[in-house]
Amino acid sequence: MELLNGLRYSFHLIFHPFDGFWDLKHEKRGNMKSAMVIVALVILTYIMQRQLTGFLFNYNDLKSLNIFTEIISVVLPFFLWCVANWCLTTLMDGEGSFRDIVITTAYALVPIIIINIPLILVSHALTLEEGAFYYFFNSFSWTWSVILIILGTMVVHQYSLAKTLFTCVLIVVGMGLIVFIGLLFFSLLQQMFGFVYIIYREIAFRL
Amino acid sequence: MKAIKTILTITIACLLLLSSTVVFAAPPYNSYTYNYWGEPVPAPQAYLPSKIIDGKTLGVGHFNNPSDFFVDDNNNVYILDSGNNRIVITDENWNVKKVISEFRHDGKEDTFANPQGIFVTKDGHIYVADTDNGRLVELDSNGQFVREIGPPQSDIIPADLIYRPTKLVLDSALRIYVLAQNMNQGILELDKDGIFRGFVGASRVSVNPIDYFWKLISTREQRARMELFIPTEYNNIYIDQDGFIYVTTSALSEWDIIGAVNSRSQDDRVAPVRRLNLTGTDVLRRLGFHPPVGDVAIPQLGTIRGPSMLVDVNVDDSGMYSVLDRKRGRIFTYDNDGNLLFIFGSLGNQDGTFKSPVALENLNGEILVLDSKLNNINVFTITEYGALVRDAVHLHYIGKYNESAEKWKQVLKYNSNSDLAYIGLGKALLRQDRFEEAMKNFKLGNKRDYYSKAFQYYRKEVVGEKFGTIMTCIFLLIAAIVVIRRVRGKSVKEEVGV
Repeated sequence: MELLNGLRYSFHLIFHPFDGFWDLKHEKRGNMKSAMVIVALVILTYIMQRQLTGFLFNYNDLKSLNIFTEIISVVLPFFLWCVANWCLTTLMDGEGSFRDIVITTAYALVPIIIINIPLILVSHALTLEEGAFYYFFNSFSWTWSVILIILGTMVVHQYSLAKTLFTCVLIVVGMGLIVFIGLLFFSLLQQMFGFVYIIYREIAFRL
Repeated sequence: MKAIKTILTITIACLLLLSSTVVFAAPPYNSYTYNYWGEPVPAPQAYLPSKIIDGKTLGVGHFNNPSDFFVDDNNNVYILDSGNNRIVITDENWNVKKVISEFRHDGKEDTFANPQGIFVTKDGHIYVADTDNGRLVELDSNGQFVREIGPPQSDIIPADLIYRPTKLVLDSALRIYVLAQNMNQGILELDKDGIFRGFVGASRVSVNPIDYFWKLISTREQRARMELFIPTEYNNIYIDQDGFIYVTTSALSEWDIIGAVNSRSQDDRVAPVRRLNLTGTDVLRRLGFHPPVGDVAIPQLGTIRGPSMLVDVNVDDSGMYSVLDRKRGRIFTYDNDGNLLFIFGSLGNQDGTFKSPVALENLNGEILVLDSKLNNINVFTITEYGALVRDAVHLHYIGKYNESAEKWKQVLKYNSNSDLAYIGLGKALLRQDRFEEAMKNFKLGNKRDYYSKAFQYYRKEVVGEKFGTIMTCIFLLIAAIVVIRRVRGKSVKEEVGV
């Protein structure tokens, strides 16, 4: 029931973002469980969109789609955003906890689900000339979600609009930094393993 | 069991015997084509090497570094044997008709010096780009000297330029189009008296924004050492029967070509082969999956890397054209829309492969490739599969769509991966108002614009037939939405407490 209420609340939230996000945090209208369900639905939407969109609007090579890459390409940016958001806002007097950030961001992604799933069906009934309709709604859903994410960040951390926008830019930079450090880490690890392996080979060869 | 074994052995023995009678038992190269995704996929052989012609078989002594050849309307072959400074003329059965190694000029014997280009007009006059002598030479059909055309005189040509003409063609009005070394302003156009008229067809320069940025912030000294944004130099020229000039270039940067392939560019700015009209504007159609650049998957590793290096082009009467890649010794054949039809040929040491292919010609439907290092001409004969594709393209070109579709159907029997065959079939079905089948074929051939067209008609048909059902569904859907909204609206209000 908690889950269902949480999900139903998301429909209210996307149309009334200011009150919605406020109540989400302070009135505990959202919960982690429904946030995770929403993320799962976003992943599902993304996979379905890549796989099932009508031929005219689907430029993916269907035989080379990999479900794990698809999942990663939604989950990774989501958690990167949340982590970078938390790291920065704790330093910048943000009032939201990590839990708040995850729930807010997840709820802000609801427009992507509710617009794109019907759009997959519609894409089978449109010609290329009518493609503007398809592309408009597709980008509309993304713009809506991005605006909701920004508003959510603003409400959760009690920031002014200017500070929110500035923070968002920093968060994106932070995401890039995390990716960079991650790559660096793995690269170093690889080098270390390589080094040890070469020494092992050398010793094995001499003995 | 034993009987089966015996039969098998006999069959294999027969096959071996049969194949040993063929000169080229196995083709010395793999045939492939590129699918919509830019992946190389195997395809049946379209052309097979059938014989090799060299100076010895012709009985005129070895060729030495031949650089160009020409096939005239009467199927005579003119081979420009540059290292020996001579022209060898044969008929279509490779019987030598004449060897021109010198000519009388102003009462003295004159010869060529490392000539690089040859063209023969309809009345048999031979034009030679006599490169190291810095002139064009016209000989009549008997090999008698007619005139020479020296360096072009004009203010727009730098005075210190050493004029080295390399390739030339003439149009039906006997205007001469010349390519010369170190000239990137385009093609030199001379009128029929040999007087310079101007440049045509200089390629548009595409400036990379990143390069432009660096150029903006660099000092004058740094700028002087950078590459200039100059138009690319053409390396070969061909004129088709309608008077359109085809030019090739191999001076494009690798990243530009990769960019053009990835963006499926139809633009003429990054184009190794161009088709120019009289005003010098590129009118080549690039409606294939990828622009005609030779190999689409460009190797970054290995001994031979980078994009294809196109050095010659040859056009047949249905607008089909072939280009020669010198880097990997491959010939790419495209139709007049720019769809890739065949890829064949290879570098190598076997018969039927090349060392340094330099020129491409078409003799009675056979493709000839001149090799300047092996000093020979490889003759490639079309296979049954190749002929089917060629006929299908030709029938489509002259507007016989249904006959063309029949050919495409046969092509599919040889090669069920042929995207072009599906598209060709789809076009015919679309014309016959068989929209659903057409859609299926366009989907198989990855042709979205035609699929959209077929789908539009198909949708109209379906909606017309099932108008009642569809309207009922829509009505029910709207009703359902209204009911759900009412119920939900109430409950949300209750919960929010408004």
